[in-house]
Amino acid sequence: MKLKRQKFDASIPSVAMGDIAFLLLIFFVILARAQDDSHLRWDPASSENVANVGNPLASIVIDADGKYFLNGKQTTIDSLSTKLGSVLGNIPSGNRAVMFKVDKATTAELFEPAIEAISRAGGDLVHILEPEKEE
Amino acid sequence: MSNSRLKHCRRRLLVDPPASAATDIAFILIIFFLVCASVQPDTGRSQTIPRSEEQQDKSRQSRNIEVSMSPGAVVVNGNVVAIEDVQAKLKSLLAGRQREADRIVVVKSAPATTYDRWITVTGQIEEAGGIITLKLEKQKEIIID
Repeated sequence: MKLKRQKFDASIPSVAMGDIAFLLLIFFVILARAQDDSHLRWDPASSENVANVGNPLASIVIDADGKYFLNGKQTTIDSLSTKLGSVLGNIPSGNRAVMFKVDKATTAELFEPAIEAISRAGGDLVHILEPEKEE
Repeated sequence: MSNSRLKHCRRRLLVDPPASAATDIAFILIIFFLVCASVQPDTGRSQTIPRSEEQQDKSRQSRNIEVSMSPGAVVVNGNVVAIEDVQAKLKSLLAGRQREADRIVVVKSAPATTYDRWITVTGQIEEAGGIITLKLEKQKEIIID
């Protein structure tokens, strides 16, 4: 007597593919948000001569409350130079651009030490500014 | 036209879109907004600042042009200059100075100077052909027993 093998349909349900892709996308978006500084609140200064900057390796933000952030993570002015130095590593000069995003109302006592820290870490300073609006 | 025919037409107009397409629509909308957000580049200005040194050559320092700024005034070599005239003043002072070492402009800011003002003044120095060097004053805390 021959017994017929029962066949199981083992196909992946294609209906759920959209949902899976959607959740994966949300996951990666949240992951990317945790590393950048778009959540920080700062009002850029304006200048006549601005150009597009590439993709600098690091970004330093001094927000509207005068807090320092390196690549989106809060830090102190004393440790800024050391941390920036470890981010830049042994990258050759000319490729060590550091975005410097400072709220326009920040005073010199806060932003000048940060410029000094970038200089000590051997970073190439790039001020992030908005183009001056013509009236 | 009969009533039954009218009713039939209305029913045809109110057709729900298939619910299975909602995820695909949301997915495409997210991709659209992500692309829109990522194509907006940052604009700015690069600035070469020499590496910080504790002390500088005093004789060379005395030859350099010095720009001091505070929230109310800009002073170039001891003379008060209107903020819009800084570039013209520096151009006249830098005229004839060819070597990079002679084109150094020492920038000293009062603690209350805002970043907005600092960017305006340093932008004018660079436009005039000056090389910016910052003069920072360190605060030292002395504890007296």
